[in-house]
Amino acid sequence: MSEDKENELLIPESEYLTAGVHIGTKQKSKDMKKFVFKVRNDGLWVLNVEETDRRIKLAARFLSKFDPKSILVVAARQYGQRPARMFAETVGAMAFPGRFVPGTLTNPSLPEYTEPEVLFVTDPAADQQALKEAINVGIPIVGLCDANNETKYVDLIIPTNNKGRGALATVYWLLAREILKERGEINTYEEFPMKIEDFEAPL
Amino acid sequence: MEVLTCNSCGIRLSEKGDTSFMCPNCGKAVIGRCAHCRDQSVEYVCPECGFRGP
Repeated sequence: MSEDKENELLIPESEYLTAGVHIGTKQKSKDMKKFVFKVRNDGLWVLNVEETDRRIKLAARFLSKFDPKSILVVAARQYGQRPARMFAETVGAMAFPGRFVPGTLTNPSLPEYTEPEVLFVTDPAADQQALKEAINVGIPIVGLCDANNETKYVDLIIPTNNKGRGALATVYWLLAREILKERGEINTYEEFPMKIEDFEAPL
Repeated sequence: MEVLTCNSCGIRLSEKGDTSFMCPNCGKAVIGRCAHCRDQSVEYVCPECGFRGP
């Protein structure tokens, strides 16, 4: 692959900016310092979208190596639930939107019990229970991290706004499209049948 | 059998909280991470491609 193609963004930068993928928080954690681009006059930390784009490609490459059924996506956050569900449907993964029942990964007597090989969290702070159980069972963790997140136990960080409706839909949509492309299920991006709006949580 | 060690600090992986996975970038090397380095979010480097994570 040529360097130009490798450096090309998955969608135009303007679309990232419109969706607010780059908008961070007013607090910035030390862990996320390297993904921060600048601080705005109003005090909001702005994330580097080029790095977000690069990490989405990496995460897609990483996740595409796993059996789709062994990927577990969790999203406790309201705006993350629909994107997570749509993402899981598209790539064939498991999704636990909403409350994560304690013991899902550790208690075999529960009806929800499952043994995934990788965990994908929408927000490491909000999805603490899933994170804790993934640590117990020793599976790798991929996480969408905002400027204020601690990245404890996250093995692959995707720096992005993980609170916005549009941002979450965009990131999950891009990930789903990129995973299908990595797996060879689609040859061009035009073949991907979903739109970003399909991934957006209702207002 | 090769003993899996933490890619960041070199400790043997045997505790709860340790994990290992293929490099997200090249997929060729196994990256091991111990519970301590994961907790502190210590950087790891892929020995094959030089990818720096997390």
